Amino acid sequence: MIKIDNVSYSYAKGGGVSNINLTINDGEFVFLIGPTGSGKTTILRLLYMDLFPKAGKITIDKFDSQSIKKRKVPYLRRRVGVIFQNYHLLEDRNLFENIALPLHVLGYDKEEIIELVNESIDEIGLKGKETHYPYELSGGEQQRACIARALIKDPDIILADEPTGNLDPVASFEVIKLMEEISKEGTSILMASHNYNLIKSRGHRIVEMQNGSVRH
Amino acid sequence: MNKFIFILAEGFKNVWRHKSSAVSSIFSIYLTLIVSGSLLIVSQNTNKLIEYLRDKYKIEVFFKEGVTEKRVTELVEDFKSINGVNSITIISKKDAERIFKSQFGDDILSILGYNPLPISCVINLKKDWPTRIDLKPIISSLRKYREVDEINHQGKLISRIENYYETFLRVMVIIVSITLIIAVFIISNTVRLTVLSKRELIKSLQLIGATKWFVKGPFIIEGLVHGLIATVLSLYTIIGILNFSKYLIYDLTRFDIYYDQLFIFQVLLSLSMLVGFVGANRAISRFLK
Repeated sequence: MIKIDNVSYSYAKGGGVSNINLTINDGEFVFLIGPTGSGKTTILRLLYMDLFPKAGKITIDKFDSQSIKKRKVPYLRRRVGVIFQNYHLLEDRNLFENIALPLHVLGYDKEEIIELVNESIDEIGLKGKETHYPYELSGGEQQRACIARALIKDPDIILADEPTGNLDPVASFEVIKLMEEISKEGTSILMASHNYNLIKSRGHRIVEMQNGSVRH
Repeated sequence: MNKFIFILAEGFKNVWRHKSSAVSSIFSIYLTLIVSGSLLIVSQNTNKLIEYLRDKYKIEVFFKEGVTEKRVTELVEDFKSINGVNSITIISKKDAERIFKSQFGDDILSILGYNPLPISCVINLKKDWPTRIDLKPIISSLRKYREVDEINHQGKLISRIENYYETFLRVMVIIVSITLIIAVFIISNTVRLTVLSKRELIKSLQLIGATKWFVKGPFIIEGLVHGLIATVLSLYTIIGILNFSKYLIYDLTRFDIYYDQLFIFQVLLSLSMLVGFVGANRAISRFLK
């Protein structure tokens, strides 16, 4: 479970979030919507503890932002998958190597990595493109690869920051469908988006952000 | 174990991936090692020279008239316990007579009718002192014995040689330290450029839960590999220069340059590993703060 308890954060140059309260239950799919600069990305960064609240507390299972030691943050991140609008795939590694990276971090052996990555590539429909580099893949394929990389370590939570921002409507729809399937298997998902039309009819909870606050 | 193999493999792959920065990093370590290695050989040879000179240092102690040879033998045993004393040779009255004859050609007994030469001893000093030899404490220890009449030594000359040696050691330490610091900075900057170009990788690794050492590891391995390559290159360069210089110098001065290849390799390897590790760690740590 994710609990954001009266959290505020401000950047030195202005902006941020204030007095955010939000709870996301296990396996829940929540959309975070709002215009650019409304604080969606800040909330996600606070959740994967790239930023720490200036006030309030974030609790993700046994980890909480007030007591977690910096050296323990990687262990939290191993339970959280992060997906970005700009994919953040490594340009000097092929599809297989990109997806395999989290498994190396977790210390899996070679055979397991080959099996799991091939399975994952198959699931996202990119079989046959294992040796392709990111620049040889379309935007939709890159985003699917990014989702596969986030999922391969079997996280409890997925944080997606505008994952459809660079995709056409068809590819965006495919990504949403893929995320819904993941959610059905028990993974909590918080997905930030500014595309209300894409998410309004999906039947999931929608949290709206404006000027750094949750709009009620 | 799997993580370690991955970090190791990434480090080696990085050397190839970052070829251009590897060249400048290896070259700067290489130059540092050439300077340090050359200074090491100069130092070893200076050490050899100082040991040769120290071998010549002698303190002559003359005993008062009437001190028996038996007493002198006892005293000499005492002298051996003085710090810095290596060995002692007793020169009896008869020995002194022989030395007089060999040096002046005359028999002192036939000139004076008796032997006025006192019993003496020659003290040889230890030559493998880590720092300068100071004669003063030895002389003052010897003077405490009332049987001792006169002490001859080359105090001023020894002091001058030892002063030069001490200054030389200090200058060496300063030059090597400065060279190492410069190398650490150069390597650190080179690695920082690599790190900057690898921001995406570092960010991705951090986001998927890589620990600090998992992120740092490949960069440090890369720095160590640079060091290893530079060590091999500098060792061969130094040996090449040495062989050429040996040939030239021996022809001119008959002075044979001394060097221990294994020792030089060990020192250069340790230095390069130290410089490679500190440089890479410094660069990546700043970035991970």
